[in-house]
Amino acid sequence: MRRGKGLFNLRSSLMSKYLLIVLSAIVLIPFAFPLVAVILSLSSGPIANPGPSNPYQSASRLEKMWHQEAARLKGASPEDVNAALKRIRSQYGKARMFWVDGGGTLRLALPDNPHLPAKWDASYTVAYMKNAVNGNVFTTIAFIGGSVKSGFMAFQVPRSEMGSSGTGIGARYGTILVSGILLILGLFLFVSLLFFYRIRKRLVRLEGAMTAPSESGIPQPVAVTRTDEIGRLERSFNDMIRQLERSREREAEEEALRRDLVAKLSHDLRTPLTAIRGHAFSLRQEPLSDKAKESLGLIDRKIDSLGRLIDNLFSFTLLSSGKYPYHPQRIDIVRMVRTHLAGWYPAFEQAGFEIDLDLPESSVYWEIDPQWLERVLDNYLQNVLRHAKSGRYVGMIVSDRGGGSIAIADRGPGMTGESDEKGAGIGLSIAALMLKDMKLRSDVRSGPEGTVVFILPE
Amino acid sequence: MAKRILYIEDDADIGGWVKEDLESRGYEVIWLKSGDGAAEWAADADLVVLDVMLPGLDGFTVGQRLKKEAPGVPILMLSARTAVDDKLQGLRFADDYLTKPFHPDELAARLDVLQRRYGVPEEREIECGHLIVKPELHTVIDSRTGEEIPMTPKQLQILLYFLRNRGLVLTKEQIYEAVWGEPYLEGDKTVNVHIRYLREKIELDPGNPQIIETIRGIGYRVRK
Repeated sequence: MRRGKGLFNLRSSLMSKYLLIVLSAIVLIPFAFPLVAVILSLSSGPIANPGPSNPYQSASRLEKMWHQEAARLKGASPEDVNAALKRIRSQYGKARMFWVDGGGTLRLALPDNPHLPAKWDASYTVAYMKNAVNGNVFTTIAFIGGSVKSGFMAFQVPRSEMGSSGTGIGARYGTILVSGILLILGLFLFVSLLFFYRIRKRLVRLEGAMTAPSESGIPQPVAVTRTDEIGRLERSFNDMIRQLERSREREAEEEALRRDLVAKLSHDLRTPLTAIRGHAFSLRQEPLSDKAKESLGLIDRKIDSLGRLIDNLFSFTLLSSGKYPYHPQRIDIVRMVRTHLAGWYPAFEQAGFEIDLDLPESSVYWEIDPQWLERVLDNYLQNVLRHAKSGRYVGMIVSDRGGGSIAIADRGPGMTGESDEKGAGIGLSIAALMLKDMKLRSDVRSGPEGTVVFILPE
Repeated sequence: MAKRILYIEDDADIGGWVKEDLESRGYEVIWLKSGDGAAEWAADADLVVLDVMLPGLDGFTVGQRLKKEAPGVPILMLSARTAVDDKLQGLRFADDYLTKPFHPDELAARLDVLQRRYGVPEEREIECGHLIVKPELHTVIDSRTGEEIPMTPKQLQILLYFLRNRGLVLTKEQIYEAVWGEPYLEGDKTVNVHIRYLREKIELDPGNPQIIETIRGIGYRVRK
């Protein structure tokens, strides 16, 4: 809907803006010439008056001059007429002139022209005049003294002489034309460039906003200043960000809800489990058969393993949503492993395990959360205690080579082998997740002879 | 005089059982089914055992209030530590944590440790092999002769540290830091030397020690 409306919203369209620029350029072209003329005249004087440089330039002026001269010769003698023609000739050197008296006799031709007949009758005169008008020689004829009886005098100038100044003006107009077009073209290019430069600037700004995410990882909205295509793009971009933020919030809410659910569930499962343990414990105080005592022991063990399972489930939920508290510090793993195994010692001792510890002389430091690493070690040691009982051996080896490593070894049936207790999966998943977050990895070598788990930097 | 435990638990089944069990271990137990009024009882208690998910006020709120009212009374939370970390972020008022379904023996053991840590008066006499240790009098007596065994203060402190953590394997770092109160420095042989002299005084055969046991590669232990 909005797009359709936008297409026809001419006022706020970049396309119509650019069309406006093109149109103004076209409209401005005719105005450019007077403008250029004014500019040129300002720089090189008036062009409307070319000055006295060319006396042949204006035909009407020549004609006027000729008729005035002829009128002035009213009643003059042929000698006077000759003298007048010679005087005029001295002014207009490029012109040819002659005169014929009332009797039709050619009296004087300047310069002398043998092609002119000596006698002029009326019909010849008309024919000559007709030729002269269409010819490439400008010809004007005036009756002497304004009367046919006194004869006539003719004045001839090649039209090329008259045009000599005309071509100068033509060249001048050519310059105006070219510079006018160039001016408009230049102006048009400049305005276009400005137009696209501003579009580009806005696009670059938008691109910057898109690629510079805030702390939350979602870009900041941009300020929308216009309603054109880019403005609409910016608005859509802002809408998109808002949607993204909303969905991020929803996701976080769901995550929190799920975490809460698992937390409540794990508590609600623990409570009856604790009650069961209580009753089993009370039963133990009663006189019981051996078989019943054995069953109670089994119940006790199952309660333990179920409790661990619930704990792991809860931890896994926290870990996978990144909510398991992580406080890394510089830890001497040699010391940590020793202390940790000391805590496990009684449990292994009670199960009849041989306990072996091999530590380097000097400290090995890792940048980790000690509680996390303890949890990982707990998971592996728990596994050894539960699944590798048959081997009756646990060994922990810390090496200071290659950034340090911890190895946990047993002589159980191997990780693929059958064991009497199941449910180690989630514990190992937790260990794997924790190691990954601490930039550590585990390397497991398992066979029928036993299993060695190496923990080492990635 | 019996030690008094303030026990806050909403579940009747578990509450009744734990109360009975703790009483059979010689404690006096005040059992409340909710956190209301817990603060009034806390001042008279030696220890508090607190369930986290109580109806109404939750266990965290109750715990914080108790700690404010009676800062000297240790609190044991029945919860996973991770849940506490997640929720409180630094408001760790509890002194120890125990996850349900706990074993009654473990609860009793943790309460023992808490009492000792909080300076609840120690037993006046501790028997260990042929030794009778009287912590208040700073004396160690050979029960066969009735004579006092002379000891340096550090030797006595080490022996008492072992007796307070009986059954646990202690590393030389733990012993050093508990007794000397300073961070252990790598390669320090002080603890080994002191234990050698201590053994010469208390062991019947220092070459084959029976009281302070060596756990190879890990540390030492005094058995229960």
